[in-house]
Amino acid sequence: MPYYPEQRHLLDMTVIRRQRFLPEDAVGRVEVRNGAVVNLRDVVARGLLPSRYVIVEGARYFNLKDPAELSDLMLVEVGETVEVKAPLAGRAGQRSKRLLSPVAGVVALVADGRILVQVEPEEITLEAGVDATVVGVENERGVIIETFGALVQGVWGNGKRSIGSLRPEPEDGIESLYGEDLDMQYRGAVVVTRRPLRSTGLMVLEAQGLGGIIAPSMDCDLIEESESAPGAVLLTEGFGSIRMSTTVFGMLSGLNGKQVLLDAAQPERWSARRPEAIINPTSRASARPPRPQANFPLNVNTQVRLTRSPNAGQMGRVVSLPKAPILLENGLRTLCAEIETLTGEKVVVPLANLEVFGR
Amino acid sequence: MAEQSGSILAADFGNVHTRVILFDLVDGAYRMVAQGQAGSTAGYPAQDVRAGLARAVEQISEFTGRRLLSQEGLLITPENADRSGVDDFLATASTGRSLRTVVIGLVPGVSVASAIRAAAGTYVQILTTITLEDNHAEEEHLNEILRSSPDLIFITGGLEGGAQEPVLKLARTVSLAIKLMQRKPVILYAGNSALEPMIRSLFEGQTTVLVAPNVRPTLEREQLESAQLQLALAFNEQQANKGGYGPVGQMSRLGVLPTAQSYSLIADYLGKTVEGGVLILDVGSAVSTLAASLKGRVSTTIRTDIGVGHSAVTLLDLAGEDAVRRWLPFVDAKHQIRHYALNKTLRPATIPESLKGVYLEHALLRVGAETLLGVARPSWSTLQHAEVSDQMPPFAVIIGAGAPFTRTGTPGFGALLLLDALQPVGAVRMYTDPYGLVAALGALARVRPEAVVQILDGSSLDRLGTAFCVEGLPPPKGTALKVKITLDTGEVVKHDVPAGHLWVYPLNVNHAAEVEVRAGRGLKIGGRSKLKMTAVGGSCGLLFDGRGRPLPLVGGVRMRGEMMPQWMAEITGEPLKPIDPSWLLVASDEDDSDDRPDDTLNRKGLFGRGKDGKAAKAKSKAKDQKKPRRGLFGRRKNAPARSDDLPEPDLDTFVDDELPDFSDDSINNLDDLRRS
Repeated sequence: MPYYPEQRHLLDMTVIRRQRFLPEDAVGRVEVRNGAVVNLRDVVARGLLPSRYVIVEGARYFNLKDPAELSDLMLVEVGETVEVKAPLAGRAGQRSKRLLSPVAGVVALVADGRILVQVEPEEITLEAGVDATVVGVENERGVIIETFGALVQGVWGNGKRSIGSLRPEPEDGIESLYGEDLDMQYRGAVVVTRRPLRSTGLMVLEAQGLGGIIAPSMDCDLIEESESAPGAVLLTEGFGSIRMSTTVFGMLSGLNGKQVLLDAAQPERWSARRPEAIINPTSRASARPPRPQANFPLNVNTQVRLTRSPNAGQMGRVVSLPKAPILLENGLRTLCAEIETLTGEKVVVPLANLEVFGR
Repeated sequence: MAEQSGSILAADFGNVHTRVILFDLVDGAYRMVAQGQAGSTAGYPAQDVRAGLARAVEQISEFTGRRLLSQEGLLITPENADRSGVDDFLATASTGRSLRTVVIGLVPGVSVASAIRAAAGTYVQILTTITLEDNHAEEEHLNEILRSSPDLIFITGGLEGGAQEPVLKLARTVSLAIKLMQRKPVILYAGNSALEPMIRSLFEGQTTVLVAPNVRPTLEREQLESAQLQLALAFNEQQANKGGYGPVGQMSRLGVLPTAQSYSLIADYLGKTVEGGVLILDVGSAVSTLAASLKGRVSTTIRTDIGVGHSAVTLLDLAGEDAVRRWLPFVDAKHQIRHYALNKTLRPATIPESLKGVYLEHALLRVGAETLLGVARPSWSTLQHAEVSDQMPPFAVIIGAGAPFTRTGTPGFGALLLLDALQPVGAVRMYTDPYGLVAALGALARVRPEAVVQILDGSSLDRLGTAFCVEGLPPPKGTALKVKITLDTGEVVKHDVPAGHLWVYPLNVNHAAEVEVRAGRGLKIGGRSKLKMTAVGGSCGLLFDGRGRPLPLVGGVRMRGEMMPQWMAEITGEPLKPIDPSWLLVASDEDDSDDRPDDTLNRKGLFGRGKDGKAAKAKSKAKDQKKPRRGLFGRRKNAPARSDDLPEPDLDTFVDDELPDFSDDSINNLDDLRRS
């Protein structure tokens, strides 16, 4: 019976379809039409993020018996921006009583005799992030775009997104840039390191103005620090000190200098987003590349990534798929595959600990 | 035709696995005919549970030769003359985002406490509670609701015939918040029933309002069932909009039911048919459930923050690393436990390959069960009409569900985990549910209750056997249990179980024996000094647990290093896998989240770091050393004190000045040379 392993895409050329949606609680609008061709820096949607609301007791202020009468006294409309002490409501006549806004913000609601003012909501813009075509529009939420290029998915991101040139780390490691003068070739770049990320690497990110870092792993101590770092951080393997697979590093190094969208999304169980790097090619391909195959069963010769110790991060090829469960050294008995790693070593690995790349 | 055959397909969607069972009439009674299992596909890339369902159903088709899916991939219903298709389809789910809920009420210890207990019966994540007593202004309440962005707001409060205005005041704030929200949450009202018309009118035209009888009609009385049902319906409704559950719900006669309700129903059923209490425990990847039936009443507790996969980190945050460390027979490296949990959260379906990994995994599992028990037990005191005591109340039947218990591949392993996690007392029949049968039966009970009886009689659960667990702490080197087993052949087997040990007599599934057990001096078995009963066997047999209650783990890492492998060997019958002495001396994270060479390095080669590497050399030296000496690798001065009092090992023993330093750089250089 076929076994369908987990997928984590590592594809040199594929069709990529992604949502570009405003946060769920944002109020916004879509800026592009269906079918539009967008460049990576094009804004596809704009919105306002919710912020604190202030309740202004209008009916009470004007001693209204019927709270609904407040609507007749309103001097501003819902959605209007107001400054501090700007009149919100008042009776006719110059010397009449006026209700002033206690804060600067946007009038959000007038209901039940009250005015709700939202304190200066933060405006957000959503960029396409890649050169793509808009293939779907969801009003007020965002768009679905389609592009093609290389796709490298990781396991964790610091929640940031960055666009820059892809650069492998210097030979002495990313830490060697620490304390150095600004190196313009790295400014704004997304730097790939094959070694576990250390605190110094995050300092370099800030000091050298890197756009982001792609690293195999890092210590859990660095989670908070990386979340507050100015750039995007993506981990390809996990937490601890796991090194980057040569296959991943080789693929990313081969794309040296290309523009990359580093979408270091934090993994969320119910989100369609995964932390990933998308690298557009410099020119349009003549033929449409295949999409990742969602139904991808494990077969002999399938290329796989090994995800658990003692082989975590290694790549290999399925040599055989024994039908009976195998007793592991640790006492568990489970279905396994025999894998030949890139070094030629043959190892027996539980099926659950294998990932395929999507093709 | 349909009624004659009566075939039923039941699917349970878990966070990691989708399990499908085919029931059919065999000789006039319902039996489990076949089962299939595939990875759940609610997440990336499919994001549609139907993909996993189709894969699992295909397995059944392959096994039975019956075509169940049409060419379009749809389930064929009803069953045809050629036996393709099924008559009925039922679905349960524990996957899906839990219902993000804000609880609103008057008094934390009264109505709000009842609402929280009601919420414990389904997949609810309580984001915040707002009460009149929290001293927050209305504006703060409003902003708190908006910030939470809940799926559901559970309003309660006011005893029957009590004050109305305070509840209405809170409800008005909720109404204001809903007017500002883009995505409107559902309202569940289960407070003072006199307010129901006003609550309905307040939210009319704004959002859906569900109403249940007051969860706290009087100070002394609590009624949670209706509110729990409404919460389940709201969960179902939310599920229907996501990940392909909508079409699955349409195929199913009852929609998609919460798996936990099945546990509750089956615990209730068994509780009424079996003498003694019944406990069903499912520690899953994202969600854990405990359903207990005591004295004919059921209590179900669900926690969406306890699990050994998706919820491993939240479990760790909840229980703390020390709780996990108590179950480890080795000195853990800095952050080893947290890294393990983080990596499990990132890749929840993976299973440990190393021995340390399996200890870490099962430590999390045991701690998950302990934590869940801690949450559930206060509500049991209501069932028992008794105070909560340190010791578990007696249960006649324990069922372990969920992959961590059922997919170890060795029944003894599952039995050991259940004994450790729940620490039952007296005599208890133990089962595991490897096929998700309990989930299916819970759904089946609603449409064909007679089938549940027949299937349970047919015993499709995996019977582990009967365990006899001594109460109290046996003195070292003493005898915990004196056992006399009289087989149906008349043969008598006698055995003394030493303190701190387990003993298994391999009595097969369909066999029973007369068992007489005497507890050692100062100890009890089932609250008495001796116990005599007819006990049934199982895939493990008869298990005698002479370790005592509570399990003596406080002896520190050395004791665990000695005892835990022994317990595993005693119960599984596998050879003893002794703990490497170096594990007790020096913290190393070599087995999980380790610093290893990348995949171009031959780990067996001269420059590898595997067995020939530094760690292995350190290990072998540690083995050779006779007396641990003090050194730099010992605990740091400022390190937090551990409960385990360990001697500090000698740095010199572990420093290897003969091998070259394979720092990251040197590995890179070697790697580059190889590639060139």
